[in-house]
Amino acid sequence: MPRIRVMVDPDLCIGAASCVTIAPETFQLNEENKAWVFDHGQEPEGHTYERWLEVTDDEKENVILAAQSCPTLAIFIFDEEGKQLFPEV
Amino acid sequence: MKYFIIGGGVAGTTAAEELRKRDASSEITILSEEHHPLYSRVLLPHYIKGKIPRERVFLKRDTWYAQQNIEWIDGVLATHLDGRNKFVGGSDGREYSYDKLLIATGGETRSIEEDLRGVSYCRTLNDADQFLQLLTEQGKTTRGAVYGGGFIACEYINFFAHFQIPITLAHRGEHFWTRNLLPETGKLIAKHLIKNNVDLHPNSILERLEGDKELEGFVTSTGRYAATILGIGIGIEPDFSWIREAGVEVGTGVKANEFLETNIPDVYTAGDIAEFDDPITGRQLQIGNWMNAMTQGRIVAKSMSGERTSFQIVSSYATNVLGLEIIFVGDVERAAAEEIQVIGSIEEGGITQVFERDGRVVGGVLIGRNTDRTPITKAIQERRSFREISSSFS
Repeated sequence: MPRIRVMVDPDLCIGAASCVTIAPETFQLNEENKAWVFDHGQEPEGHTYERWLEVTDDEKENVILAAQSCPTLAIFIFDEEGKQLFPEV
Repeated sequence: MKYFIIGGGVAGTTAAEELRKRDASSEITILSEEHHPLYSRVLLPHYIKGKIPRERVFLKRDTWYAQQNIEWIDGVLATHLDGRNKFVGGSDGREYSYDKLLIATGGETRSIEEDLRGVSYCRTLNDADQFLQLLTEQGKTTRGAVYGGGFIACEYINFFAHFQIPITLAHRGEHFWTRNLLPETGKLIAKHLIKNNVDLHPNSILERLEGDKELEGFVTSTGRYAATILGIGIGIEPDFSWIREAGVEVGTGVKANEFLETNIPDVYTAGDIAEFDDPITGRQLQIGNWMNAMTQGRIVAKSMSGERTSFQIVSSYATNVLGLEIIFVGDVERAAAEEIQVIGSIEEGGITQVFERDGRVVGGVLIGRNTDRTPITKAIQERRSFREISSSFS
């Protein structure tokens, strides 16, 4: 299964929550209204704005969709080689 | 199949993108008033405050349209619609025929009567550039002022504070967001602004501007105030004339059912301009937030391409004014609520208003109480009453 690194930049995040609507198992807002990254609904090793996830192709597409839905482009997605998949550079 | 989309914002462009995903061969055209490829209005404040470079506001490159085989016509307004013969007349003098039409033209900022160099609006990238230009020109002599009591007013407050410019604010109502906030909640916001050195003037109606070639001040019903930049945030007022003339039903927005279909066959609507049937809250809503616009763009593309889909999302928006978090969820119109439950208080530094209708939660305004957002959103989605969820609140 592909692995991706998902990172939320809390300086850009404004708590619009479109990511939560599309991929609630990967994004949830914390008390500061910023999105923490979850691993299939869980938070192994606690709260974080950045995580490696093992995902199916469908799940990966959905996480990318969530990143695309962010009005401030605060979600960054990298593949296993470290290449930035989104936002497109 | 010819899809014609009027509006190059997030609703229209998302619809175009989704239509192309679903149909590789159809004709898709976007008619856009602005000359820029899709950018995020939500990122304009970040750009103004220097948090991101200008290029980062763009969500699509100008090459994206051609790559997707989407015809992008920029700098043209729709001026005429013939729903019977299915064509749109543009301000460029051309006529565009369609099979399916999407009206996603968004909101036009309501402007004050007078114009003078120093008056600023905050909707487009051009507006943002102009604001920065004024700041550069005026430098340390800048005297900031805001006219308005809603989201845009909050943005201007944040801009001026970021640049350490003194702020005078006048708004027409008793307090901010008079259509949504109870007086107590309004007081909480007022206290916060005053504590942060905003010179605040409620119940203040603009009468005239002062200044010869450039703004020097403004006069309202409560007094005269110095200003070199006056940020205006008094709502939106789209031009519905060409839409009404075509026989499309218009209220405060373009009326639509839950499938985002208007009363004219093959004419749809999405985004800020849509006044749509919302099965979740049981009322027609008009929502001006990002989540609503983008999701409606995606859903209406489904309906337009033959998969008639009901739009059912509880959308919300969050902002921050000088450190005070403000969240609007769902249906927050005071006049349409049967009951408004209040949690918290001014003393506690945070208030949440829970709006109920027909015995269930339909919306929430949260000031300084972020953690109420999830239980309220769930309650709306699950059609629960306030009583059922009241234990979720601290």
